[in-house]
Amino acid sequence: MESFFSRHRNLIVLLAVLLAQIIGLAVQVRRPARGMAAAAQTSNPDTMQRGDSRSVMLLRLWAADIVTPPERLFHAVDQEAVQLWSGYLDLVHLRAQNLQLQQTIDWLRLEQAMLSEDARQGQRLQSLLHFQQSYPGKTLAAQVIGTSGNLQSHLLFIDKGSADGVRTDMAVISADGIVGKVRDVFPHTAQVLMINDQTSGAGVILEKTRIRGILRGDADGRTEIVGILADSRIQPGEQVLTAGGDQIFPRGLAVGTVTGVVRDPDRSAFIDVILKPAALLDRLDEVLVLTDIQSQLPSALQSDLAQSQAEQGQAASAELAREQARRKAAEEMAERLPGWQQPVTPANAQGAGGTQPAAPPAPKPIPALHPDRFSPGYDAGSSTAPAQNSPGDAASKPTTEKPQNRSQL
Amino acid sequence: MTGLSTDYRRDREIRHFPLAVYVLVPLASLVLQAWLPRVLGRFTYFDLPLLVVLYFSLVRRDPIHGTLLGAVVGILQDALTQGAIGIHGVANTVCGFLAASIGIRFVVENALLRVVMNFVFTLLAGLLVVFVTGGLLGLEMRWNFLTQVLVAAGNALIGLVLFPLLDRLQGKD
Repeated sequence: MESFFSRHRNLIVLLAVLLAQIIGLAVQVRRPARGMAAAAQTSNPDTMQRGDSRSVMLLRLWAADIVTPPERLFHAVDQEAVQLWSGYLDLVHLRAQNLQLQQTIDWLRLEQAMLSEDARQGQRLQSLLHFQQSYPGKTLAAQVIGTSGNLQSHLLFIDKGSADGVRTDMAVISADGIVGKVRDVFPHTAQVLMINDQTSGAGVILEKTRIRGILRGDADGRTEIVGILADSRIQPGEQVLTAGGDQIFPRGLAVGTVTGVVRDPDRSAFIDVILKPAALLDRLDEVLVLTDIQSQLPSALQSDLAQSQAEQGQAASAELAREQARRKAAEEMAERLPGWQQPVTPANAQGAGGTQPAAPPAPKPIPALHPDRFSPGYDAGSSTAPAQNSPGDAASKPTTEKPQNRSQL
Repeated sequence: MTGLSTDYRRDREIRHFPLAVYVLVPLASLVLQAWLPRVLGRFTYFDLPLLVVLYFSLVRRDPIHGTLLGAVVGILQDALTQGAIGIHGVANTVCGFLAASIGIRFVVENALLRVVMNFVFTLLAGLLVVFVTGGLLGLEMRWNFLTQVLVAAGNALIGLVLFPLLDRLQGKD
């Protein structure tokens, strides 16, 4: 018997170990089944998942206690190693990546600037389009593509030329106000002389005081109105409009705002009115060239004008009817009352041949029986009858002699 | 040399390891088996605890040792899962016993032979797990033979590297 165990020791141990494990498995598998049945009776699903016996739970706890600390250590080491690698060691492509990101940032900044510029340009074009639609004349939109590059020469180059219908001396405006006039025209570009150039000139008028003057630029690039007599009514803040007499700018366009008045250094009786231009002359991007200032009004303005004229016609006809009725009533009154005089009105004055209305006859004073120096029209030197003097003389002479008479008295 | 008996030759070829190696290496295999899937994701086609059992069984040439080592390591493997404890225990026990039994009769030092044995025993362990789970316990288990082949191949390749490393841990006689 002893030799059997010693001979088959290995196999017996194997079978014993396998048998023990199989029994353990059988116990574990049967316990969840009972747990499931109990759970089905108690309707408690939590019971099904807790089918392990206390010994199995203990075994799992031990295994977890054995394995999890090294796992935690491995995890920590792994994290540190990853951080060390990625943060300090794996920096081979970092410089190139940094450069690429910097380029991306620069590109994004450029794109942002372009988008902002596009948005601003859209707003400007929108206001310009609105102005173009509301403006009665024909206009041609143009882009400002350059300047003269000289501080003494305030010129602009626009991207429209003779091929687009631009001619010399055409007015150039923006939605804010006038800009200048076309000086030279090339096939596809044109040169615009701005209003703040010393050689420019435009007829302008102050909005409130209705004082006219000539607009030009000074040596500093400011705009001023020259050739105005000193007038205390000109105050800063007054709007200045185009007068329309220069055959370039149509009347009524905004020119600028009065910012100050200085005495003309050459002529002491004259002043120069300094203006702040309505158009942003140093930040122009889009302008309008007035290609035809004598064109027809837009339909909306035409309808408004026709309505206004119709209303004026109705008012005039009503006034004429009232005047005719008043004249008829006056004639009837004159027939019934011979001494009644028809009142002088502008209407019947114009009706009498269109001549100047006759002044009403002045009432003649009754001649005095014994005229003296106090009598109207008395002349001490000539001793003529006062009735022969004119009323004007009678009115003037006594007043000039009154102080003498009073001193004599 | 020719006068040496078989038992003497077997005793000469038995590897002896410090006790810490018997404890720490299986423990390390369990930890790595539990931790590496976090790193490798689904490419965990290996079974390190089984490799360790096979190695010690082969080099110790002691079926009881292989049986007990396989049972303990397998039970610990099961304890880390939600399944019944003993499934991998049975499989590893059988594999450890068979590997030790083969080691008694053959000198398994050749690399190619180790690759084949690792492949076969890993496949066998997988089949045993399926047999115990489905056959003995009657539990439903989805099983993919190709996955098991990949695990066996992975074990065979890892064994090529791992076994020489573990050979360096043996103690001096």
